[in-house]
Amino acid sequence: MEKMFDADKFIEKTIPKLKNEIKGKALIAFSGGVDSTVCAALVNKAVGKQLVAVHIDTGYMRKNESKNVKKLMEKMKLNHRFIDASQEYNSILRGVEDPEMKRKIIGEKFIRIFEKTAMEEGIDYLVQGTIAPDWIESGGELRDTIKSHHNVGGLPKDMKIKLVEPLRDLYKDEVRKIARVLKLEVSEKQPFPGPGLAVRIIGEATPERVEIIREACFIVEDEIDKAVEKGTMKKPWQYFAVLLPVRSVGVHGDRRAYGDVIAVRSVESIDAMTCNYSSIPHDVLDRISTRITNTLKEKVNRVVYDITNKPPGTVEWE
Amino acid sequence: MVKIYVVDNGGQWTHREWRTLRDLEVETKIVPNTSSFDELLKQDINGLVLSGGAPRIGLQDNLGNIDEYLQKASFPIIGICAGHQYMARFFGGKAEPSEKPEFGKVELIISKKDELFDGVPKKSVVWESHNDEVTRLPKEFELLASSENCKVQAMKHKNKPFYGLQFHPEVEHTVFGEQIFKNFVKICEKQY
Repeated sequence: MEKMFDADKFIEKTIPKLKNEIKGKALIAFSGGVDSTVCAALVNKAVGKQLVAVHIDTGYMRKNESKNVKKLMEKMKLNHRFIDASQEYNSILRGVEDPEMKRKIIGEKFIRIFEKTAMEEGIDYLVQGTIAPDWIESGGELRDTIKSHHNVGGLPKDMKIKLVEPLRDLYKDEVRKIARVLKLEVSEKQPFPGPGLAVRIIGEATPERVEIIREACFIVEDEIDKAVEKGTMKKPWQYFAVLLPVRSVGVHGDRRAYGDVIAVRSVESIDAMTCNYSSIPHDVLDRISTRITNTLKEKVNRVVYDITNKPPGTVEWE
Repeated sequence: MVKIYVVDNGGQWTHREWRTLRDLEVETKIVPNTSSFDELLKQDINGLVLSGGAPRIGLQDNLGNIDEYLQKASFPIIGICAGHQYMARFFGGKAEPSEKPEFGKVELIISKKDELFDGVPKKSVVWESHNDEVTRLPKEFELLASSENCKVQAMKHKNKPFYGLQFHPEVEHTVFGEQIFKNFVKICEKQY
């Protein structure tokens, strides 16, 4: 199934366009995922040192993720800043349970931090790796809002900085093609939402619950990666854990336990606009379940597998 | 190059329709449904796709300037989901909230051969996402395909190159979706 999208042509056309568009210093919102990394590489080719990559550690990142992103920025020789804002994010999300509120609060905070950095450094342009599903699902005018993506739905109306979004009309599979042409190590990295683990905790994203979901997501990724490496299954489009706001009864060494429930989510897709749940071999599911309940034994005593396609579901639960 | 525009009714997959056409090397653009027919004619288009939209969009009395396109066009038009429902109502049929809305995987059964379905088997997997559906076919239309819970999955005007589809040929999970688009492009090329 090889489609017509020509990554070489796209790169060739985009670099002069960016040179033309960016007439000063620019800041790129750098999460270290495929979209923002491709974007950074393209803008770097176009305007070089005029570009500053900024990574914000929200405290809702996956295990070791921000540390690795720092290394990646160094490796790509990007002019960069690393901002630890985990305390701030933690305090603005206190008591927030509604998924759309979470997404909007996080999105707006991103922009405010970028604006502050831009002011300090005399920057006029904000580059984002927004791709088609981000603005489609964020809605507006005719289109219904499915969920507000952090890079679209959180944008305040009084934004002072000019937005540059070179990947706006592309889908993930096309961005990956560009990443392969540019030989970027993140080309096959699974998608991770901007609001991070905050939208994988249903209900309030307290620091305690962040620790639970961070470990559970790590176990799901680790077990599936191992199975993929062994050739037991193919790498899914996206795979992770969700912490549910319900508790259930268990038994731990002859004692009653009453703990949290983790849902395992894994889906197959090409472009995120439609997805089906993955057929994970039972022994892999079994290892995930045993490892989660044993590692997090004080907290989690039940693991379920989500078998919903999109539509009617979406990939992330919030 | 054949030129087919996508009329945006606010669907989640409007842009996906654009992408499918672009991948087939069609000259394409997303245009608002408020564009006047003259504006579109001036751009020498060879066909139109009417996109889907949020629930009840296809049941509105007026959907942008789509009435004008359906009245005046001699080039092919394909309505998808809400676009299909609106087309049926414009020609005197009926569309209502579905008794059993369909989301995700459904089996499509083709009941009448047509060039739109060239290369598509009688039974195939398509993906759905609808709350409303066509409940009475307009007199000038014939039925092309159905599913278990929705009778009018595909319809065609008897004298004009107008089609309506309830399912979504533009998404990856519709197995023969790209084939259906290829066939529609061919139909547009013929007129051109």
